[in-house]
Amino acid sequence: MSFRIPIGPYHPALEEPYKLELVCDGETVRDAVMHVGFNFRGIEYLAERRNYLQGITLVERVCGICSNVHSLSFCQSVEQLNGATPPERALYIRVILAELERLHSHFLWSGVAAKLIGFKTVFMTCFTLREKVMDALSAISGNRVNYGMNRIGGVNRDIADPQAVLNILGEMEHGITSAIIPIFLEDRTVASRCKGVGILTNAQAKAMGAVGPLARASGVPQDIRKAAPYAAYERFEFNVPVETDGDVRARLVVHALEMIESCRILRQALSTLPEGPFHTTPPTAARFKVPAGTAISRVEAPRGEVVYQITSNGTETPERVRVRTPTFMNMATVRFTVLGQELGDSPLIQASCDPCYSCTDR
Amino acid sequence: MAIALAGFEERLKELGLGEGWVWNNGSWWLTPQEAIDVRATTEFMLKLDARFVAITAIEREDKEIRLDYQWDLNGQLLSFITATAERQIPSIADLSPAADWVERETREYFAVEFTGRENTKPLMTRAGDAIGINLHKEVEK
Repeated sequence: MSFRIPIGPYHPALEEPYKLELVCDGETVRDAVMHVGFNFRGIEYLAERRNYLQGITLVERVCGICSNVHSLSFCQSVEQLNGATPPERALYIRVILAELERLHSHFLWSGVAAKLIGFKTVFMTCFTLREKVMDALSAISGNRVNYGMNRIGGVNRDIADPQAVLNILGEMEHGITSAIIPIFLEDRTVASRCKGVGILTNAQAKAMGAVGPLARASGVPQDIRKAAPYAAYERFEFNVPVETDGDVRARLVVHALEMIESCRILRQALSTLPEGPFHTTPPTAARFKVPAGTAISRVEAPRGEVVYQITSNGTETPERVRVRTPTFMNMATVRFTVLGQELGDSPLIQASCDPCYSCTDR
Repeated sequence: MAIALAGFEERLKELGLGEGWVWNNGSWWLTPQEAIDVRATTEFMLKLDARFVAITAIEREDKEIRLDYQWDLNGQLLSFITATAERQIPSIADLSPAADWVERETREYFAVEFTGRENTKPLMTRAGDAIGINLHKEVEK
């Protein structure tokens, strides 16, 4: 006999508000229906009623995890319209912030995944390491969540002491290689809990337009940092980890290996940080009035591709600010990944997509 | 910032995507605008193994909605501009399931009817909510 289990929109088991209705046959999930939009804040609407400088602060509040990528995408779009070219040092600092943000997001995801697997000591390890990243972000920007680093034409603050960040990086690398990589890649308990669970096939990932680590765990090798480089990414050597199994274990592996690659990028960027200014200062009028036109910027957020399209009508207020977030594309895949799976595995399967409802709902 | 791949407009021409591709501010744009068949374009893009990225709705003064369809082809972003006719446009969700949520969101926020859709259940709003309010400038007037 089939029965329907409604979970959410507000439920102790959910980190953020959304509603999931699972149709089960015994312990087997037969269908899933998702409802989102509970976290709608009208960010796009508000951005079209503020000037461009206010817009930077606003879009940084789209998400509490990947706040930096939103202001970065916004600024990159505006820079294309008004021709403000950030200096080389600013481009490096943007990469450093973006990779630190990816690390803290991946640590958070790994911790949540470990907790759902039932491996709470790994949860503690991940969150201990995440604190080191937060310390680095706080030391650079003065903030732990909304960094306020991006501005049109560069960044707001310099990294005065790259060596201090390199020292923190060394501790993080040690933690990743000695704890997270061996457990996620080699531990038999983790493998037995995750292997073959919540499979998203390559064809499904492509059809659904999945992005980021979720897509790369299903054999889709796309990463905007490589495919359409921005900031200073083309100056650094790094690999894009890709797995083909498409299950929860493949997502664990991709996330773990991406942390190592982020450390590689950070080490290169911090070691070769060019001298010079960290922002350009366009004339005041240019900072407020942006020439008419449309610009699009894509950034590889921790969860995948973020797209910002800004249309200017030549006034101080954008005519349209469109934000397409990675979770908006990825969450629709949950319907495929939970079908035929054990009901008890569905929280882990959902979490393995690394969902962010603040981003989805905006 | 993303830059145009040298000679990519020639490649687009060879692939049968027509002439008149212009790189501008982060994307290739097909000109002249507003002359595409969204379903035929979708079928063609899928044959090329392109990835659906987004639909961006922009309100126009004549009450119609400009819709920019974006696809990723080998890392290059392609944008097709079209517009609704009497606030309607054919759905592509049956061809490209990736467009399902985007079409539903656009319908709820801008009151655009995507014709031919099987699933019109609310996604971002709740059953019974009025559509075309949340991001719609027109309601202010």
